[in-house]
Amino acid sequence: MFYTIGQRKKWQRILYLILPVLSVALVILAYALVQMRLPALLPDAGELWDRFLRTFTNPIKEAGLPGHIWASLRRVLIALLFAWTLGISFGVLIGWNRTCKALFGSIFELFRPIPPIAWIPIIIMWFGIGEFPKVLIVFIGSFIPVVINTEAGIRMVEKEYIDVGRVFGAKRSQLLREFVVPTALPSIFAGVRTSVSCAWTVVLAAEMLGADHGVGALVTRGWNAGDMALVFVSIICIGIIGAILAFVLNKLEKVVCPWNN
Amino acid sequence: MEQLTSGLVVEHVTKTFFNSGGYFTAVEDVSFSLNDGEFLVILGPGRCGKTVLLNMIAGIEEKTGGSIRYNGQEKTGAHPDFGMVFQSLALMPFKTVMENVELPLKLRGVPKGERRETARHYIELVGLTGFEKSYPHELSGGMKQRVGIARAYAANPKVLIMDEPFGQLDAQTRYSMQNEILRIWEAERRTVIFVTNNIEEAVYLGDRIILLSDCPATVKETYPIGLPRPRDMVSREFLGIRTRISDNTDLAI
Ligand SMILES: Nc1ncnc2c1ncn2[C@@H]1O[C@H](COP(=O)(O)OP(=O)(O)OP(=O)(O)O)[C@@H](O)[C@H]1O
Ligand SMILES: [Mg+2]
Repeated sequence: MFYTIGQRKKWQRILYLILPVLSVALVILAYALVQMRLPALLPDAGELWDRFLRTFTNPIKEAGLPGHIWASLRRVLIALLFAWTLGISFGVLIGWNRTCKALFGSIFELFRPIPPIAWIPIIIMWFGIGEFPKVLIVFIGSFIPVVINTEAGIRMVEKEYIDVGRVFGAKRSQLLREFVVPTALPSIFAGVRTSVSCAWTVVLAAEMLGADHGVGALVTRGWNAGDMALVFVSIICIGIIGAILAFVLNKLEKVVCPWNN
Repeated sequence: MEQLTSGLVVEHVTKTFFNSGGYFTAVEDVSFSLNDGEFLVILGPGRCGKTVLLNMIAGIEEKTGGSIRYNGQEKTGAHPDFGMVFQSLALMPFKTVMENVELPLKLRGVPKGERRETARHYIELVGLTGFEKSYPHELSGGMKQRVGIARAYAANPKVLIMDEPFGQLDAQTRYSMQNEILRIWEAERRTVIFVTNNIEEAVYLGDRIILLSDCPATVKETYPIGLPRPRDMVSREFLGIRTRISDNTDLAI
């Protein structure tokens, strides 16, 4: 078979539109097949749908499904906002300034390998189980990847760019703004993307260990009550929200880093 | 030696790179002075140390010996009177053509409207009008080189350093850019240090040619070129100088 380039492009476009739909469909199909064979392991679609509707009619702890999602999302977003601003600033600082790297670098290296979930008992002992400790744990978890990627990105700046800056008379602050930070942006975005998934991991863990509201609390409740459909509904919600966030970040990256495609 | 207090004086400049395996001398004992308004061509074989020498003059590479003085003062680091066209192009991939060209003006704090106007002028001069919003990765090698040239022009330096600026241009564009650089040089009375490995280009452009030896670069010979401009590349005098230089070069360049 021979195609002209134009035809091939068109076929590829269609293919790339179909493939994602197809793969999702396959997963759903696989779920359905397994479900039919082993109904004890997985709830069927009707059950899931019923359970989904019942989260609205029978609120859990006075909150419907949107209320629980919002409780988690709010913790994640507040923590991420702080993680991004502080993490990017800190990453730039230790990536750019030798003295700061020497001062804070080793402290950071010490904290960095500790899984954020390990902080949960300590922080609960210190601050109880209110809003602040949860946001704090999520912050710790998402701060670290932002710092790591920002610092790596800052270090990636080529000597040549700095040479251009020096020849044309850039001050040190201008070197940072005009040459170094733009070079690091794609890497910073990679850190931001990672931080989102870290934030979800940590918020779920924190909520599962002690919270009235939040998707993690729903999972724990479903677990304790043997309500598998509720667990699945919660998990699917997390997947969908995560996908939406990733999509928004991708669009944002295209706007902020238009040269990087 | 009567120009010691003005212009650029390079004396006994040497550059030795040290690394774990030992050392390597790229430039050795190079001396020359640059007259105000002069078009000086530095001609040398490939990998002989031309870029290293220019980088020391531009102030982005440390020298390991000798001195470089400008207006009577030791020149350490970059100087606002100097601008440079980089052999490696050194365009910012994250800036558009317009943003790359206006960058030197932006660094100096020139207001946006004004610097855009200047940049647009030089973008037009190098024939890139219509590509202001393109990113470097969307341009051909020759187009990128022209962005680098426009950027250096926009900086409006007294001394313009050009490191093989026409290396990636096709023959046609190369000729027109050679004439263009001469036009700008004559119209705006700049001083130019122009590096090339092309003898014909050197003889066509230079008031004076400094011929470098193979690595480490030393000054092999200096040729004042007295030919009137515009020069005729097939005239007897032109070809004579060309042959004299090419007979004296270390390798085929
Ligand atoms: N940072 C460095 N460390 C070690 N050696 C270097 C360094 N920079 C350049 N050199 C060496 O110095 C020599 C001269 O390099 P340079 O780039 O100045 O050559 P050039 O004359 O500009 O060559 P071309 O015509 O290819 O541009 C080369 O052999 C190169 O390997
Ligand atoms: Mg070179």
